[in-house]
Amino acid sequence: MNGRLILGILGRLMVLEAAMMLPSLGVALAYREGDAAGFVWTILILLAVGLPAMLLSPARREVCTREGLVVVSLAWVLMSMFGALPFLFSGSISSPVDALFETVSGFTTTGASILPEVEGLPHGILFWRSFTHWVGGMGVLVLTLAVMPKLSGRGSVLARAESPGPTFSKVAPRMHDTARVMYAIYTGMTLLQLGLMLLSDLPLFDAAIHTLGTAGTGGFSNRNLSMGAYNNPWAEMITMVFMLLFGMNFVVYVRLLRGDGWKSFRSAEVGAYWAMAAVSTLLIAVQILPEYSSFLSALRYSSFQVSSIMSTTGYATANFALWPQFTHVLLLLLMVVGACAGSTSGGIKVSRVVILGKAMAREIGQAVAPRKVRLIKMDGRLISEQTVRSVLVFLFIYIAFLFLGTLAASSDGHDFVSSFSAAASCLSNIGPGLGVVGPAGNYGVFSPAVKMFLSFLMLAGRLEFIPLLALFHRELWGKGH
Amino acid sequence: MRIIIIGDGKVGHSIAEALITEGHEVTIVDRSETALLRSRDTLDAMMVKGNGVNVDTLMEAGAPMADIVIAVTVSDEINMLSCLTAKRLGARYAIARIRDPEYHKSLSFLMRELLIDYVINPERLMAQEISRMLRYPFTGSVETFARGRVELMDFRLAQGDLLEGMALKDLYTKKPELPRVLFAAVERGEEALIPKGDTVLQAEDRVFVAADVLTITRFFKAIGKYISGIKSVMVLGAGRITYYLSELLLDMNIKVSVVELEEKRAAEFKEMLPQASVIVGDGTDQELLISEGLDHFDAFVTLSGLDEENIMAGLYAKRLGVRKVVVKNSRDNYMDLLGAMGLESAVSIRRVTGNAILRTVRTRAAAKKADAAERLYRLMDGAAEALEFIVQDDAPYINVPLRELKVKPEALLAVIVREGQVRVPFGGDSLQPRDSVVVIVKGGVQTLGDIFR
Repeated sequence: MNGRLILGILGRLMVLEAAMMLPSLGVALAYREGDAAGFVWTILILLAVGLPAMLLSPARREVCTREGLVVVSLAWVLMSMFGALPFLFSGSISSPVDALFETVSGFTTTGASILPEVEGLPHGILFWRSFTHWVGGMGVLVLTLAVMPKLSGRGSVLARAESPGPTFSKVAPRMHDTARVMYAIYTGMTLLQLGLMLLSDLPLFDAAIHTLGTAGTGGFSNRNLSMGAYNNPWAEMITMVFMLLFGMNFVVYVRLLRGDGWKSFRSAEVGAYWAMAAVSTLLIAVQILPEYSSFLSALRYSSFQVSSIMSTTGYATANFALWPQFTHVLLLLLMVVGACAGSTSGGIKVSRVVILGKAMAREIGQAVAPRKVRLIKMDGRLISEQTVRSVLVFLFIYIAFLFLGTLAASSDGHDFVSSFSAAASCLSNIGPGLGVVGPAGNYGVFSPAVKMFLSFLMLAGRLEFIPLLALFHRELWGKGH
Repeated sequence: MRIIIIGDGKVGHSIAEALITEGHEVTIVDRSETALLRSRDTLDAMMVKGNGVNVDTLMEAGAPMADIVIAVTVSDEINMLSCLTAKRLGARYAIARIRDPEYHKSLSFLMRELLIDYVINPERLMAQEISRMLRYPFTGSVETFARGRVELMDFRLAQGDLLEGMALKDLYTKKPELPRVLFAAVERGEEALIPKGDTVLQAEDRVFVAADVLTITRFFKAIGKYISGIKSVMVLGAGRITYYLSELLLDMNIKVSVVELEEKRAAEFKEMLPQASVIVGDGTDQELLISEGLDHFDAFVTLSGLDEENIMAGLYAKRLGVRKVVVKNSRDNYMDLLGAMGLESAVSIRRVTGNAILRTVRTRAAAKKADAAERLYRLMDGAAEALEFIVQDDAPYINVPLRELKVKPEALLAVIVREGQVRVPFGGDSLQPRDSVVVIVKGGVQTLGDIFR
């Protein structure tokens, strides 16, 4: 373990975070609501901590797997801790636990809020809250690799620990280029959505907030009623489509740009993703039909909610907590599954579900004809036994933490549905759940200890457990490493 | 440049590593997931699983856009076919490793028909490397620059040597009779030093010096490290390298004696090379070596398949007082250990192959830039490099006295060759168009201009 190397990378990250606060500072200065000083202080603190650590640049530039895990976990924890400071300095949130919860929720693109009332917050703070979604969506270390090529040597270790999905594939030989391509596509799509949102007559600030929230599949809004506040079908439709687009594997866009045309979409994961979205939308539309005037109107609300939950964004145009029970179970299922690997979304990921389904079929087939050789293939490629095993273990860890989270949340005395959906929502980085944490409720009802545990769940879910859990492994800190 | 390496074996991995450090975009293709997983964590390259002759695999690796395809799998046939497929898909340059001598008999035909631009025969490269070592037996390694006008050679300093404890700036004031050579690099432990005036030479240092052959030979004589010409060589093992090496040595009128354990192979060898004498017996058996008169040979080359056998036999020959011992060793990380044991001249097939490929890639890269290096040699396993440049007509550093051109501390302007004359540069010298310049550097330098601050 090379302590100086880890410190050096973390220092660079702190400086990068200071730079990331500049747009929010600009917004704060433009609106003059007294929150600018909070950003200035935070930036100064970040520089005071980050610059000395950065200057401790290591002689050896290679990051090994072990150090990669430590860097990724510590990076996310530190980013969240420092990112919480503007909330505290501006007085928008008074309790440090609440501020930390809100920031973790931002960076992990969860969008779960402890604030019952967001419309009175200063604009700079609102912007920062949503900007954390955007950065957290593609990943802070991927961003670091994109802007600091020198780290790139063994940077794939960092990117792999941070990127969601069972496997990580580079799109360019050099990690530095891969990170830049990813961020270029991400930025391009964000700008495209912003432009369309403006065309739909949303005010610039609101359009920006909801675009940032959609791109990172986060879900923070500057309105208490989320997207529902505007009752603007065009903005809803644009948001719905982009939520699904940001939930798709970004490799698809890389292939599209390379001119592969429709072939780019030909993958088992993307197919299953769209199929699930379509079937769920129809099922829910049929269920909620009695509550709305027409099928089209029912379709409008069900499609928005399905894409919001599946892409793990968490915007709401209706209080789905009031919908029939069947829709709740279906939405919970979608929460657990999430969207595609290699996207900005959370959850188990569709590709893992596809692999799990194939592994299940194989196991059953093995019982029927034990001597037959069966391989698990996806898109014509062999899925190695190691990947299958890690997917199975991932599922187990996810379920274990889902129940631990439910247990913790219910310790505050909330009902099963609320506790279970809060845990699922945090683990899959969605935001709203059902019951007290439904679209109309918020996470402020939980005790500080539960909020801390839920924050841990959000981080664990975003980093897909292994990096964060590895921090607790004895051998990581053992001698001789 | 975009480079595809097919075959993630020892050679593939080590050239990938070197090419990435030089800033190329590398994609590695291999059939084995295990090999790719190992590389995934250590190399900043793209990994593609699949067979290099498969069109889909090559498409995924980006063959149509590739500047160079390097096929170094274990199979000659796959290497050749991969090159053909990649070239047909649009790759611009193809390098194949081909080992079987059968193919080398019709090499030009194969290269033309299979669109292979450069063929690497590791065994022949090894033989060439060893024959050069035997031509200059007094040095551990030898590299040639400026069309043979400059040689870079090295020796290891022992306790009580003439130069031990001497600062380089005092060297020629204290020993004016020493022939003038340039001290190019010093390997101390695991560190590579670019010597300055105040560098003090220590025992156990491996010192690299550059000059023309005559001067360097006189220099080695003066410091007592000279070994006179080799007239007879005993070789352990009758493999392919031995075959190529014996051919080269016999051409140089050097007597060759080969010891081979297997009777059949020994007979085949004798049939192919009747001028060589072949002995059937166990080359690690000391009595056999003595009875065959090993102590009367000028040099002993161990080329058996086992590193341990080679090293032990080499050490034994060294103790018998054989003047020049060359051992084949496949583990790169043991090279400095061998040096410390007195086996200066160790050769590794992987390193020789890797260097040859790197040199070709460099030349391709240089074709794009007028100012790039003509030749490149990696010293001390890549810790330092010796590069040869030609000064361009319009370079900004022409006619500026060297003392005003601030050379970076990790670089050294070693030799200037002007109109066939080799000169060791001093502060008042300046570079002239069409000069050949040899530069020693630590770390990546692409053009001659890079070495100046």
